[in-house]
Amino acid sequence: MKKEIPLLIGFIATIGWYLEFFMAGKFFENWKMIFTTGFRNVAIVGLLVGMVNVLRVNYKKIKYNNDRWYSVYQMFIIALMVFFGSLRGISPGTPFDAMFTYGFVPLDATVFSLLAFYVASASYRSFKIKSVESAFLLVAAILIMLSKMPLGEAMWSKIPVIGEWIMDGPTSAGKRAILFGAYLGGLTMMIRVAFGLERSHLSE
Amino acid sequence: MEKFIYTLKKLDKRWIYLLIFLSCIIPFWFPDMFPQEFSTSKETQRVYDIINGLNEGDAIFIDWAFDPTLQAELLPMAEQTIKQALDKKIRVFIYYPLLTGISLGENLLENIKKEPGYENIENGVDYIHLGYLPIGVDMVLFSMYSDFKATFGKEGKIFEGIKTFGDIKYMVSYAGSAHPEIYISLQPRFGFKMGAGVTAVVGPDMVPYLQTGQLDGMLFGLKGAAEYENLRIKSGAEKKYNQKANAGMASLNLSHIIMFLFIGLGNLVYFYERKYKKSI
Repeated sequence: MKKEIPLLIGFIATIGWYLEFFMAGKFFENWKMIFTTGFRNVAIVGLLVGMVNVLRVNYKKIKYNNDRWYSVYQMFIIALMVFFGSLRGISPGTPFDAMFTYGFVPLDATVFSLLAFYVASASYRSFKIKSVESAFLLVAAILIMLSKMPLGEAMWSKIPVIGEWIMDGPTSAGKRAILFGAYLGGLTMMIRVAFGLERSHLSE
Repeated sequence: MEKFIYTLKKLDKRWIYLLIFLSCIIPFWFPDMFPQEFSTSKETQRVYDIINGLNEGDAIFIDWAFDPTLQAELLPMAEQTIKQALDKKIRVFIYYPLLTGISLGENLLENIKKEPGYENIENGVDYIHLGYLPIGVDMVLFSMYSDFKATFGKEGKIFEGIKTFGDIKYMVSYAGSAHPEIYISLQPRFGFKMGAGVTAVVGPDMVPYLQTGQLDGMLFGLKGAAEYENLRIKSGAEKKYNQKANAGMASLNLSHIIMFLFIGLGNLVYFYERKYKKSI
């Protein structure tokens, strides 16, 4: 029964969810709301489990690891944000918001901005015309980039038109093919889960 | 020549980093170093026209699926659409699928309130932050179609006449990932009208949905945001408060030129080595 009941739940949920998409009506709407509420409750518990796990992992690091100061710093910041958030809320003007605006925002943006430097360096090292295909790729990439900056249009008024054609034609066709394959794969997976052929979600 | 090629090949990547850094920073002091004129794409125009065509009292839904990492591109877009709606007295509902986006949105509205013409807008009346829900966006959408107000547990005059998501006239999803596809996959079922504001990296992924009509319009990267700013400035918005994306245009130009230069130099090294069949 330890296997059969989860499989049965999987079957009912998958088929019900699938039918609901195509069939309107109160019965299926209520059916969906049961799951919506269920998901929400599970997600809230999941957040709690995540929080406990962060505390557990960092506690162990502080106790046994040489790099304990990173964990001490992380725990301190978490505690501080929870404290300020609970004390005065998170609306603009509160200490929590100040920590977000002057701490999190610049740090978060900085980490992502590093991408620009890595992309430039990687382009220099790797973006080379080694074959006909890579030549097409390079030319298309440069045209798209030019079409998405004002300088491209200033150089030649047709650049945005060419960029648009590349995206509407070849790019879009490729993307559609990938999507089509991915959705067929998703449909197959749904059928496999529904009929118990796929059991990875049951830790098998 | 060989010495030059050798220098290029052994170029320390920190020089590349330095040049990219300077190419991003310097144009902010010399914004007129490149031509500032550019046309508006039809996707941007479409989003603008749809919001412009709404009536006073109508409602739009902003799906704020970005955090500070993407604010350079997406914040000016969100700012312009929200201001455009507020100008027309259209109610604005802002939902945050990312926890880290909430303060960004709240601060934007606080800053908008400091600008002339927006001093009297009120949270819960003209706009509302719907907050974050710890469930998937598809679940939120189903719930909104059942009971819009109960989904978020918020109160306010702004909810008057909005029973379900079907009463929302238009939605725009701002994201730097495939996030809008969640709405798009459910769009044929519910039939809501939606646009998207995405980063330049994600833009090409969304083009097929523009072709199918599932997306009514799209703001594409920093240039899309600048196009939107220009549309609003043309219709009377004050330039001083509406040029965040335009301010980045020169930087966008110069950093790309540096990038093209490095791609060219990288290929020069490659072809030189191939021609003389040796590795320097």
